[in-house]
Amino acid sequence: MAVVVMSSTTRPKLAAVATVFFKYSHAQHIVDRFLDGYGWNGTHHRPEMDLVSLFVDQVGDTDLSRERARRHPSMKICPTIAEALTLGTGKLAVDGVVLIGEHGKYPRNEKHQTQYPRYEFFEQIVDVYRKSGRSVPIFNDKHLSWNWEWARKMYDTSREMGFAFMAGSSLPVTWRTPSLEMPWEAKISEALCVGYGGVDSYDFHALETLQCMVERRRGGETGVKWIEAWRGDRFWQALKEGVWPRELMNSALCRSHTLTPARAGFNDIFPKDDDMRRLVKDPVAYRYEHADGLKSTMLLMNGLVRDFNFAAYVNGQRRPWATQMYLPMPDGRTTLANFFSPLVNGMEKMFLTGKPTYPVERTLLTTGLTAFGVESLFRGQKRVETPELAIRYQATKESTFWRS
Amino acid sequence: MLTRRHFLQTTAALAARGAEPKRIAIIATIYRYLSHAQHMGDRFLIGFPYEGEWHKPNMKVVSLYVDQKPEGDQSQERAREFGFQVYPTIAEALRCGSSKLAVDAVLIIGEHGEYPRNEKGQVLYPRFEFFEQCAKVFESDGGSVPVYNDKHLSYSFEKAKQMVDTSRRLRFPMLAGSSLPVTWRLPAIDLSLGCQIEEALMVGVGGSDPMDFHALEALQCMVERRGKGETGVRAVQMIEGDDVWKAGDSGRYSKELLTAALSRSDTPLGLTMEDARTQDLVGSGELPKLVKNPAAYFIEYRDGLKATLLMLNGAVKDFNFAARVKGMREIQSTQFLLTPEPNVTYSACLMRKVEEMFETGKAPYPVERTLLVSGVLESCLTSKIQEHNRLETPHLSVAYRPPRESQFPRS
Repeated sequence: MAVVVMSSTTRPKLAAVATVFFKYSHAQHIVDRFLDGYGWNGTHHRPEMDLVSLFVDQVGDTDLSRERARRHPSMKICPTIAEALTLGTGKLAVDGVVLIGEHGKYPRNEKHQTQYPRYEFFEQIVDVYRKSGRSVPIFNDKHLSWNWEWARKMYDTSREMGFAFMAGSSLPVTWRTPSLEMPWEAKISEALCVGYGGVDSYDFHALETLQCMVERRRGGETGVKWIEAWRGDRFWQALKEGVWPRELMNSALCRSHTLTPARAGFNDIFPKDDDMRRLVKDPVAYRYEHADGLKSTMLLMNGLVRDFNFAAYVNGQRRPWATQMYLPMPDGRTTLANFFSPLVNGMEKMFLTGKPTYPVERTLLTTGLTAFGVESLFRGQKRVETPELAIRYQATKESTFWRS
Repeated sequence: MLTRRHFLQTTAALAARGAEPKRIAIIATIYRYLSHAQHMGDRFLIGFPYEGEWHKPNMKVVSLYVDQKPEGDQSQERAREFGFQVYPTIAEALRCGSSKLAVDAVLIIGEHGEYPRNEKGQVLYPRFEFFEQCAKVFESDGGSVPVYNDKHLSYSFEKAKQMVDTSRRLRFPMLAGSSLPVTWRLPAIDLSLGCQIEEALMVGVGGSDPMDFHALEALQCMVERRGKGETGVRAVQMIEGDDVWKAGDSGRYSKELLTAALSRSDTPLGLTMEDARTQDLVGSGELPKLVKNPAAYFIEYRDGLKATLLMLNGAVKDFNFAARVKGMREIQSTQFLLTPEPNVTYSACLMRKVEEMFETGKAPYPVERTLLVSGVLESCLTSKIQEHNRLETPHLSVAYRPPRESQFPRS
């Protein structure tokens, strides 16, 4: 049983701070699980805490937050972040904050990064903490900020103020097919993820997929020295030259459940290079070297797969070690994005214990990898040295992905 | 990760290296894009994903028989590309045009195609007839080879029983059934062998009789692991409509188990479709509003176990199981993951099992599972047309032992 640190008699109160709240937005998936519960361990689980306030930055025609507030009167819609946290008392009045800065209309910069205001929201949250002389745990959905300096500042602030801080993607915590965990203190010589989606969005998910696996290696995470991006023709040339291990890529693709058939009339056929080139219009690779020499590669192969698959050389074995991080995606296949359930469950544990369920340094590193991957693309696919990413941390020995 | 099974497979693969590929005959109702014959048969032509590799069985399809050639038929196209013959009869396909049995294994895929239905709503696929023709060749040519029969053995238990008896008499290994028992599970659990199950419940969807069969077989592959093995079924009853909800209210099946099974679903409908909210379909009372024509298949096993299949079209779109096991605090529940079209990688899981039988000459799990499920389904559908009465099923005293090792993908 988790230890309740705030008070043994009252349920923790949470505030949610979101950019938008519409059907299938991250805020909807996450907040609904606190309000309506979710399937967990063979029951309809209702979190032992109350989400009492919600701030939504952009309320459009498709907004659902007002409907949710009507149906759950215990949750108040607040016009500012400060009010969501203070509940009209003038000082911090909640025991935890969920920050969801994903989706919504925000400008893109010249590097095509969407400038989601996660840092700005975070600053407003910690401003309340400072004025109240007290701080409570924060979960930040996805990466910390599109801007590396700001992301680093978020992390440093959490350390200075001493509150529990968690962040990241659903990929590290969702089901795996097969349901495998990287052996603790494994020797990993190469790792690779094949995913899909766009730059500055799903690249982050693929990087978290990689990181939640390789962080378990012997010696723990040591940080990343450099990163280089490949795109378009340069990607195909790199594939031909074997810049990343072909066998690992093939193995990852063999874990996919969504391989686009390369030939009409066949439902599940392994693509040849020409097929890949025809199917994948805008391939992207980030390859990077960790301080201890491990090399990791992230491939976005839109048009070829619609899932995230991991492969690595582990403990000197020649045969790749591979699995899929399975997302039951509501793209026609499912109606619920249930990969948010283990993510919310991980948050709940932090809000009950005051301790992060897994280290935020993972997401600090993947935030940096995303930013510097984008930077490499912006600089004409040049290698970027990343002394900023000398981030060392230890993973949790206990697995935190969905297994029960 | 080097498991014992992987070691054995590697050893077997080494032993097989250099060995002549096994010659396979495919006997199908139709061979068209996304028909079972296509997505299962193709696995032996072009390989399939297995344990993180594109696995190519050391097997060669040498002949094909198709009963019907609808629009989109691919039989000739495949034969041309992969260098085999389409034969006009099953006997010729098994003899490859010669006068003697000339294949090492047979894949019977009697699913899809235009066939009549009987008064119970069962599609009269000619699986028994296909099988009999194969057995006739075996008998007259003085040999026999392993046979896989896709899905249930026959719409008729009597015929199904005869098929299994024939396989015993002619001493050839036989495997049958659905992909559900061998597909991915969320979570990846099995019931422990020899456990005591207090009650079991399965939620399924789709039409009868194709999809209820899948659900019943998923249920069976879980409950067969209890006690000293399967003992057979004493009686069945199938009810429909409001009676299904009344049966739940009166405790004929456990709502707690139903909640557990539905907690594994990724596809609740109704309000979730509208605005993506999560739902406790049982607790909220939404379930009866969503399911216009629910059906409950009650199964009373000879050893006293009671199991229920609820077909809940309109509530969810996936297959979920729950059971209360003695000595375990939490209800055991899981989803049988039907991976998306067009890859339907679950059929790769199934064809790997078929390949294993073709390679080793041993069925990885007993055909009696499918025999029993074929009979349970038939009797439930008989109950349906006989005023939903409870039917004693002395003929279903099918006893067997489940495989010791779990058969769903875990590596």
